[in-house]
Amino acid sequence: MTYTELIKTPTPSPSRKTGRNRVSQAVAWVASRGIFVFTGALLVFSAVFVHGFASSVNIIDVFHRASAIGIVAIGMTFVVISANYIDLSVVAQIATSGVILMALSPEFGILGAMGIALFFALLYGVVNGVSVGFLKANAVVVTLGTTGIGVGILSLVSGGTIFYGPVGGPIDAFGDARVGPFPLSAFVLVAVAIVAGIVLSRTKFGFMIRSYGSNKQATRLAGVNSGGVVVGAFVLTALAAMIAGFVLAAYSNTAVSTMSDGYDFRALAAVIIGGNSLFGGRGSILRTLVGVIFISVLSNILVLSGFSFAWQQLVTGAVIVFAVALDALARKAEKR
Amino acid sequence: MSTEPDAQTTRKTVLEAHNIVKRFGGAVAVDHVSITVGAGEIHAVVGENGAGKSTLMRILAGILEPDEGGVSVDGSVLEPGAKASLEAGIALVHQELSLIPEMTVAENILLGVTPTKFGVIDSVRQRKIAGDALDQIGVSVDLNEPVSRLSMALRQFVEIARAVARNPRVLILDEPTATLTPAETDYLLSMLQRLAARGLAIIYISHRIPEVFRICERATILRDGQVVELMVIAETTPNAVIDKMVGRELKLDLQTRRVANPGAVVLSARGIQASRVNGINLDVRAGEIVGIGGLVGAGRSELVRAIIGVDPRTAGTATITVDGRTTNINGYGNAVRSGIAFVPEERRTEGLALNMTVAENITLPNRAALSTAGFLQRGKIAQFAMRLADVVGLRPPKVDREAGEYSGGNQQKVVIAKWLGREPKLIVLDEPTRGVDVGAKAEIHRLLRELADQGTAVLVVSSDLPELLELSDVIHVVRDGRIMGTLSPDEANERSVMALAAGEKVASSS
Repeated sequence: MTYTELIKTPTPSPSRKTGRNRVSQAVAWVASRGIFVFTGALLVFSAVFVHGFASSVNIIDVFHRASAIGIVAIGMTFVVISANYIDLSVVAQIATSGVILMALSPEFGILGAMGIALFFALLYGVVNGVSVGFLKANAVVVTLGTTGIGVGILSLVSGGTIFYGPVGGPIDAFGDARVGPFPLSAFVLVAVAIVAGIVLSRTKFGFMIRSYGSNKQATRLAGVNSGGVVVGAFVLTALAAMIAGFVLAAYSNTAVSTMSDGYDFRALAAVIIGGNSLFGGRGSILRTLVGVIFISVLSNILVLSGFSFAWQQLVTGAVIVFAVALDALARKAEKR
Repeated sequence: MSTEPDAQTTRKTVLEAHNIVKRFGGAVAVDHVSITVGAGEIHAVVGENGAGKSTLMRILAGILEPDEGGVSVDGSVLEPGAKASLEAGIALVHQELSLIPEMTVAENILLGVTPTKFGVIDSVRQRKIAGDALDQIGVSVDLNEPVSRLSMALRQFVEIARAVARNPRVLILDEPTATLTPAETDYLLSMLQRLAARGLAIIYISHRIPEVFRICERATILRDGQVVELMVIAETTPNAVIDKMVGRELKLDLQTRRVANPGAVVLSARGIQASRVNGINLDVRAGEIVGIGGLVGAGRSELVRAIIGVDPRTAGTATITVDGRTTNINGYGNAVRSGIAFVPEERRTEGLALNMTVAENITLPNRAALSTAGFLQRGKIAQFAMRLADVVGLRPPKVDREAGEYSGGNQQKVVIAKWLGREPKLIVLDEPTRGVDVGAKAEIHRLLRELADQGTAVLVVSSDLPELLELSDVIHVVRDGRIMGTLSPDEANERSVMALAAGEKVASSS
């Protein structure tokens, strides 16, 4: 019968399928473990080939730069893991806490100024968190908006003044102090990382953040107040940004409303490059730390090799696009 | 070799599908199905939920590629792909409305074939073609109206106009009347008769047997992916069709039937209204398994979700009574705290976080019991998860594995396990064994019976009739968001449930 002859029954070719499986497995492996290999290779490469990288002066410099970014990035990790949200308002938050510390310490004392900064950090966290978690507004747009409000108020109030701390005062001393080759800010980074790591992996709250990031609907249906989880994630991010503002101000013993320009981008870059999935749910503080090391070392060796800031931006941007594309590819491969 | 079915037709064959097979993973959704439709014929495809109707239609429309077999129109075999099928004249009117709400009627009707002139949309021609299509089906509606402002019925008609505008040879409609009122349904049925009279071949998928008897010439009856029979409507009766759809005589295993011993009312719902739910009263007692039957789209899931606060209610109240204390269920968080557990229909998107471990999934609803001062008790969690995995019979019982690595049946056991840790007073299950293998299904059934025996109130929504009959102490059959009838175990059989579900009036005493 011609009719049945006409109908071809396609037999799936098994070889092609396993080949595709192998590729997707490789993509998944690179996306999840690759950053550790890349960072190790980058460190070895820099130590061997980049003149001046391994000097103690340079290592201190790398730590200084990495500390503030690292602290912000650790905070941002909570927002990212809690379901692909991004907090762009860290720029305004860092500057706010830095300026408050330097400008108000003379009048209210250092602890008093820190208390006021804490109030504003909580305000940022709650406003961002409620808008995103309960009102279901888009995180990027909300935090862009709060950035505008925060930076605007700060510039109006401070008038763009640069606030200097008294030379030799406690803030200045903190910024200069070091233990061996490590600046104190590096210890702050480590302390923040340890606390954040414990919160994320050991506490009920961290668990809910990871669970919500993995599957929002299933988490809600397990009876979790999901809006509250999002608010908590934004508050943690705000607290980290506040600490980063203190550290950054102490490092130079100055603060100005523009002191944190570009920190949103670099912190986010560290989180993403570390392999924390932008689709939420998956990631760790360790990953963020590795991401911070990677981009800090990368921009350091570019500087040492005489490349301009423009090149640093270009390379960091390229690495981010690569990391995000890899994340998406890995997710696609997994879904198959 | 051809085994021509017993129901011959003198019409000229337009559409012929031959020995179609489609597998999803290991499951065979469509199993060697052949179907022919003649010019001017309205051909019904009927079957229970999950019989393979929609899959077959998607294959005919080229959206899915069959594993075996092929489709031909007017004798020429179709290339694979939706585009080839559309060009050959097969138009599918979707079950889920696929219109773009923000666009106008005219834009929607010509979506995908928008006429252009020098690269710019030719809106004059667009309106003309769209207007002609609407004239053909005898519907008048403002072409410039955004679809979002139209009633459900008008949207359905626009959807049909969209198919007609492509000058099809074959029109396929999948449950077109699911959201229509009786008057609108009437209109649609006569519209289809007019289109058929002009030589169009129409495939009409419906659960509603009376509609099939009103307009169809023949009916292909599917069960478990196979054609059970091709019937000539004029020579048969609605009851015979339902019997064929259901297929099996009810064999109640009296060994497995438990003797229910219902206690006090645990869940009480009054006047529940929500999207697709039109006023429902419902009680579930301690130690009782209440089944909700009905067809897909009847509002069963919506009903239970509205009762326990997963989705918003527009009217009505629901209360849960535990140890003599009655709590108003005014939201889902409150429902969970009051002792309600919910196993949702969509296991993978709503039931589990697939990339978290079994232990983590079990921890989620039990997080308070498993943490001290905000810190998770890891040792306790492992033990707790192992114990529950054992209760539900997870295999292998490796709680540190990701939930996504397990089979459907095991995943479902995990969803149930995570709630059992809370010792719920009422457990609500939406399609508890969909996509679950036979062994796991039996285990889940046993588990639910044990829960009921221990005094838990159980509310089950299921499309799986044998499951519903086997489990339930009482069955409410839902259609159009209303309870159409309530059947005791003595009254309930596949025919009486299907009859109520499909809207066929049947003497209910037998």
